[in-house]
Amino acid sequence: MNDQDSLPVLVVGAGVSGITAALEAAETGASVVLVERQPYVGGRVAGFYHYFPKMCPPSCGLEINVQRLERNPRVRVLTETRVSAAEQVDGGWRVTLERAPAYVTEACTGCGECSKVCPVSVVDEFNHGMSSSPAIRLSHPQAWPQRFVIERAACADGCEACVQSCAYDAIHLDATVTTEELQVGSVVLATGWQPYPLEKLSELGGGVLPDVISNVQMERLASPSGPTAGQILCPSTGQPPRRVAFVQCAGSRDVNHLPYCSGICCLASLKHAQYVKDQHPDTEVSIFYIDRRTPGRNEDVLTRIGDMDGVRLVKGKVGKVEAGDGGLVLTVEDVEAGRKLHEQADLVVLATGMVPTGNGESPFGIARDEDGFALDDFDRGLVVAGVARRPTDVAAAVRDATGSAARALAAAERGA
Amino acid sequence: MATVPLIAPSEDFRRELRRRGGERASRCYQCATCSAVCELAPEGRPFPRRQVLLAQWGQGDQLATDPAVWLCHQCNDCTVRCPRDVRPGDLMQVVRAMVIERLAAPAFLGRLVANVRSTWPVVLGAPLLLWVLLLGLTGHLGVPPGFHAYDQLVPHWLIYSVFFPVAAFVLWAAWVSGRRFWTLLGSVGPPRKGSFLASLVPVFGEISTHGRFSNCEAGRPRRWGHLALLWGFVGAAVTSGLLVVALYGFGAQLPLPLDHPFKILGNISAVLLVVGGVILLINRLGDPQKTGASTAFDRFFLTVVLLVIATGVLAEVGRFFFPAAVACSIYIVHLSVVLTLFVTFPYSKFAHMLYRTLAMVHERMTG
Repeated sequence: MNDQDSLPVLVVGAGVSGITAALEAAETGASVVLVERQPYVGGRVAGFYHYFPKMCPPSCGLEINVQRLERNPRVRVLTETRVSAAEQVDGGWRVTLERAPAYVTEACTGCGECSKVCPVSVVDEFNHGMSSSPAIRLSHPQAWPQRFVIERAACADGCEACVQSCAYDAIHLDATVTTEELQVGSVVLATGWQPYPLEKLSELGGGVLPDVISNVQMERLASPSGPTAGQILCPSTGQPPRRVAFVQCAGSRDVNHLPYCSGICCLASLKHAQYVKDQHPDTEVSIFYIDRRTPGRNEDVLTRIGDMDGVRLVKGKVGKVEAGDGGLVLTVEDVEAGRKLHEQADLVVLATGMVPTGNGESPFGIARDEDGFALDDFDRGLVVAGVARRPTDVAAAVRDATGSAARALAAAERGA
Repeated sequence: MATVPLIAPSEDFRRELRRRGGERASRCYQCATCSAVCELAPEGRPFPRRQVLLAQWGQGDQLATDPAVWLCHQCNDCTVRCPRDVRPGDLMQVVRAMVIERLAAPAFLGRLVANVRSTWPVVLGAPLLLWVLLLGLTGHLGVPPGFHAYDQLVPHWLIYSVFFPVAAFVLWAAWVSGRRFWTLLGSVGPPRKGSFLASLVPVFGEISTHGRFSNCEAGRPRRWGHLALLWGFVGAAVTSGLLVVALYGFGAQLPLPLDHPFKILGNISAVLLVVGGVILLINRLGDPQKTGASTAFDRFFLTVVLLVIATGVLAEVGRFFFPAAVACSIYIVHLSVVLTLFVTFPYSKFAHMLYRTLAMVHERMTG
């Protein structure tokens, strides 16, 4: 295929799936536009402390991918950008890209002087609300591009403290939204997922009790760049937990919540059990489950961590989490023993599932399955990648995205 | 080598369970949310997760011996939270109906009421026909001249000659079923300790306030309706007993004046019955996720209770305000639905009074 003749492939979403699809397509010679709503690439994975099953930090995998992106002239990466409109045309799609105001330009060196003078504090969404940061900040230490961002709506009226502090004239508070029209041959939708909202699990203390956290919050607690600099502590007391309980299938496989299994939460909790034991060897960990779903070679994780001293796996889904004397109390039936337990814990982690992003609001009018996951529409040049298609772990998302790149190239070539 | 116990699922039980609306048992994946959220389940033997499994596996024999089936008050806290929409609360209700039929004496009456979805014209019609026939044969079918009291229409001896034998039969049938159930309860699990009576007294105390109902969340309004009905019926029964004493012990004349203490007691009972009946009816018509799905078996019992209350109140009021022929007709219908209520006691949902009480006594004696 001659890249001079073909229209580019548009990849929506620069998480691990989108990056993979973009690079795989570009490395065959195609030109690719990779758009990302966030100010950084890496998506959900950027917020993780470790991957299973190898338990290595995702930052190294992302770093390799970022180098590939930087070195490949055929990939154009647009962060803080969304597809605001799309129209099917002969040979592909005409899309409108809406770019957020460039309050901070590429002149930013990431020196951080602006953050020091910023008088406003905002909730840090990257840490899932567990910390706050100045309104002008780097999204997270490994963010790429290494460029500061402003939560403009939070700025005090007329405040220009950051502008005055910037030695590189990189900050322009009067920047506006810009749009760009583009014709592309095919589209890869790698729009990823959102964690199931904790607030919908109030019967399990979600959104009600401060020491009931979600599994994605646990990743941030364990991460050195997180709100506690990597120390796993109870949010209410700031003390290390002595007893940690994991509630599996919290809002999953449940007709009242997500009807499907996300397929990763069992492994995530086992991984989190290891985080806890690594930091606090004497802390007791209990994992309450319906089924232990650790397919393939992930079975080894179950064997290795499940057999650790002080890690207990109990069959039975937790029905209630309430505040009691001296901590949280979980009510659960130990199914194998046939009796009710009122389990004490200082920290409860709800193993929540993955919700496909943007259900019902795709400018491409993508078809979705009954659970809201997107379906390939090859005839219209739409290809899905990663968790946008189905809930998977990182390794499977990468494999899926590689296949998606091939389909997107075929669709673009046919269209051109 | 250790032997593995063989579980023989009863296909008949499973078919019958499906037919009666318990087909959702097969959806259950045993997560035990139901047992965890149930406020009535004992710590050491939680339900209904285990019972759903037994139903799924066609273990009707085990369910018949299980007190938990009756300790459930169908408050539906489990149904609201069940992730698979198994509706365990409704399933327990279906299982109770199956146990009632299984232990019924004589069996054909159990079958008749169990199939009330199609047999209701017989169950409601036969007593009405009986009264019309009896009144016709004794020359009482017609508006009595100078009508002012119902004993002009149906003489007391006629009422006694129907209700005394019926009461004796119902007591016998309840005794036989109760004994069967008591034996089954005792055949498994820990042995009972102490005397039956010593446990029955506190159980009556608990029933008199419906203490357990207060723990339920989803079915909370039902507690008050159910309690009002219970005390309304107790009041009505006491009034009837006192009337007999007044009639034959003290030569009282019917109808009693409105300010007579017995009359006041009867009317308070009527108010309780109406209030309770209305609460339960409204509840039944509400969100089935919280109130439980209605099977024909459930609807039949509630219908008969509501008919007894409605015809009773209308007969009382009708004597003053309705044409005599209307009032007399209502009274005859009242007698017939009361007869239906009595006769079906051991076979309808009414029998939960017997079975749940025994299960609660058993629970105390083994607890």
